[in-house]
Amino acid sequence: MASFSLRIISSTRVFYEGPCRCLIVPAPDGEKAILAHHEEMILALREGEMRMQIEEGGEWLYAALSPGFCQVAHNRVTLLADTVERPEEIDAVRAKEALERAEEKMRQKQSTREYHITQAALARALVRLKETERFTH
Amino acid sequence: MAGLREIQSRIKSIQDTRKITNAMYMISSTKMRKAREALAATEPFFYTLQSAIARVMRHVPELESPYFEKEGEVRSRIGVLVIAGDKGLAGSYNHNVLKMAQQFLDDTDKEVELFVVGELGRQYFSGRGIPIEENFQYTAQHPTFSRARWIRETLLEKYQSGEIQEIHVIYTRMENSLLSETEDSMILPLRKSLPTQVPANVYQEDFLLQPSPEEAIDRIVLSYVTGFIYGALVESFCSEQNARMVAMEAATNNADELLHNLNIMYNRARQAAITQEITEVCSGARAQKQKTNQAKEMQV
Repeated sequence: MASFSLRIISSTRVFYEGPCRCLIVPAPDGEKAILAHHEEMILALREGEMRMQIEEGGEWLYAALSPGFCQVAHNRVTLLADTVERPEEIDAVRAKEALERAEEKMRQKQSTREYHITQAALARALVRLKETERFTH
Repeated sequence: MAGLREIQSRIKSIQDTRKITNAMYMISSTKMRKAREALAATEPFFYTLQSAIARVMRHVPELESPYFEKEGEVRSRIGVLVIAGDKGLAGSYNHNVLKMAQQFLDDTDKEVELFVVGELGRQYFSGRGIPIEENFQYTAQHPTFSRARWIRETLLEKYQSGEIQEIHVIYTRMENSLLSETEDSMILPLRKSLPTQVPANVYQEDFLLQPSPEEAIDRIVLSYVTGFIYGALVESFCSEQNARMVAMEAATNNADELLHNLNIMYNRARQAAITQEITEVCSGARAQKQKTNQAKEMQV
């Protein structure tokens, strides 16, 4: 089965480097799957869940992603994101606290700058929580 | 020769200073190790990000974006993010950063708005009466991504409203463990690389920007700026610790050398004092003896 080489880099580590059969990432207008020999493209990513399958019929690996972008060229995919975390790495308690904090802040009057930051924090917390739920089920 | 007591008090004071510099050396070397780990972890991201942006700028389609350089545009106000340290005693680290910032201010004829990270930098500029952006009280310690996000929001807000038309970052980059280099990078606007003349029969690779070119560029620039600021913070923090470690090690070595010399001086002085005392006692005794002998002779 055709595969492509994939590099997933977050700000604190190289998350994955190796072959991959199928990568599904969250784009601003919905999820997008990348298979081998995909057209050259640069894709903006929003925070959300990504999953990848390394071999045909293999296990799907999930991860929570914060915004970044993904670049496809010559059957090589480079994904850059602020953070990439496996579900088991996420601290559910912390994510929940962050969510509560963000919700609390959303109710208060804020400057545009604060609003952006809080909104992004809220979105990140939601994604994290969703991922931890998947892992515990 | 200086008095014994004076030498002794100098030795004592140098010993005390040495204790401090030695402790600071040890602290900065452990901090340095942590900073080095963080740096090693973030370096792939930092460099891939820069090469990815360079690639985008090479292949970008004809597209207008507020983040791209426009020809003939007059840029009158520049925002400069200066990353200095919170504390001194780090060799020439702070000096180099501030010198470059000062040079920047002197060389440009445009208005400059300064955003300073690190207490020492703020003190430097306020001491010189150079206005800096207030409410920008970020510390250089423990660089985190959320701090980079806040800095990005502050800078981009000004950039998007047109208050500043250029964003520069002055920071210190770790070249290797021995060498760090102060650098001035312009992060916005992005410069399109000049279209090179390609023969007509060569396949011109073209990127699809999704979901739409504008939105893709917006989002990419957002992560680029955050990533760059975070990377610059980590690099600077690591350089600072490295500079402090080297400076404190040198100070400790100098103290050792001084102590060695002073010890020799002290021993000499002590020896001289003893010799002098013996001489005095001997000559005193001899004088006494002569006196008693003379007295005896008189009696006889």
